[in-house]
Amino acid sequence: MRRYDPRWLIVTLANLLLWWLTGLANHYVADFAMHFYLGGLLVAYGALRLDPRQGLIATVLTALLVDALEPVPFGTSLVLFSLVHVTVLYGRQRFPREGAIFGIVVALLANLFLVIALSFLLVGANPRPASAWLRIFADLFFSQIAILIVAPWFLALQDRAMELAEIHPETGRPVVR
Amino acid sequence: MFPKRFDQARPFVTLGLILLAWIFLPLGVKTFSRATFFEIQAPLTVADSIVRDLQTFWSNRLHSKDELLKAGQQVAGLIARYEYANQSNAHLEAEILRLENLLKIPSMPDFRFEPARVARRDFSGWWQRMVIRKGSNYGITVGAPVVFAGGVVGRITEVHRYTSVVDLLTSPTLRLAATVEGDTRPISYQGGLNNSFTSPRGTVDYVPLDVYATTSASKHLVTSGLGGVFPPGLTIGDITSLEPSADGMFKSGEVQLDQRLGTLTEVTVLIPLNPEE
Repeated sequence: MRRYDPRWLIVTLANLLLWWLTGLANHYVADFAMHFYLGGLLVAYGALRLDPRQGLIATVLTALLVDALEPVPFGTSLVLFSLVHVTVLYGRQRFPREGAIFGIVVALLANLFLVIALSFLLVGANPRPASAWLRIFADLFFSQIAILIVAPWFLALQDRAMELAEIHPETGRPVVR
Repeated sequence: MFPKRFDQARPFVTLGLILLAWIFLPLGVKTFSRATFFEIQAPLTVADSIVRDLQTFWSNRLHSKDELLKAGQQVAGLIARYEYANQSNAHLEAEILRLENLLKIPSMPDFRFEPARVARRDFSGWWQRMVIRKGSNYGITVGAPVVFAGGVVGRITEVHRYTSVVDLLTSPTLRLAATVEGDTRPISYQGGLNNSFTSPRGTVDYVPLDVYATTSASKHLVTSGLGGVFPPGLTIGDITSLEPSADGMFKSGEVQLDQRLGTLTEVTVLIPLNPEE
């Protein structure tokens, strides 16, 4: 009998948890005019550790969850997250992708790309774009620091969840503990 | 078996196929998917807001009886003041009705007040929004104005079953018609100046040349009532600087907004009683 493969579900649920925690943090720092965006971290694990199909399903579902909460045309995060995902997928064989450091670097670079791409799409609505860019770069700085702090825990959480499910993240084969 | 060159490009081909499928997906499916994905996450947003309320409740239970008595006295004073204001208000409303009938002018829009708790604040450089814990289950409608004790909060942009999304006064996506208090000429207000660790500001355009404002002699900015969304006279903020615009026909400037916008926990939604009018 074929075993059910929950890898996409594990990664999507972990991403949902991170997105909820980020929203909670943003609620409390709103008074300081600060904002965290951790989109890059949501893509990193799926693109680096899962097989292409499962990773893409997790990324697409995560992107739709993010899109539903943001005032952007529905599908914006889907396009951006998928683009980051396939780019990482294309080059991942050449790098030590199992390592936590590499995961953090990918998350930071992905986040940098996502923030800048989103900003180019949205900053036009602002009455003073120069002032808006200043705020965006300040938020980007705080977000990158947040990724540096959170990424080791978040990548380990997903690894641990795979272990608990007794499944290998890339091959999907059962892992005997 | 695909050649090696195609295998390398396969992720990008898959991405292209997904994007093509997304472009040709009917709008109805996209709208339904968005609503579904929002509602999946709504319980999480509401749950942490309820936990915060519970936390406040239990911390309030720790207050001593003396503190509660003092607070009760203050509330009794406030109630007496509001009762007096209520009586004056009823008298003024009767006067407005009499004048409307006498001059045969259309009546002012009437609203129902719906208080709502703030579930989530989301203030970024791209947008400034908050989620409130009431939605279509309380008859909230898209476009309804949202206010608090200090004036305008924003406008409802999305209504879901149990939650609604408010576009804040500080958001670059919010524009409204305003006037300087005591003047009737319309001015365009837009949010969007939200630098880190500073209080929120907005911008004004199309200000008449004879209006002057500085930080020490600011001008109070209120809603004009034009457009029919916001009732007239609601506080927006204070104009603290004005400079001639590029064409020299008007002035543009900055508006200092209420600092409390960043810490709101409760707001009131004004739901139009006769939206068809």
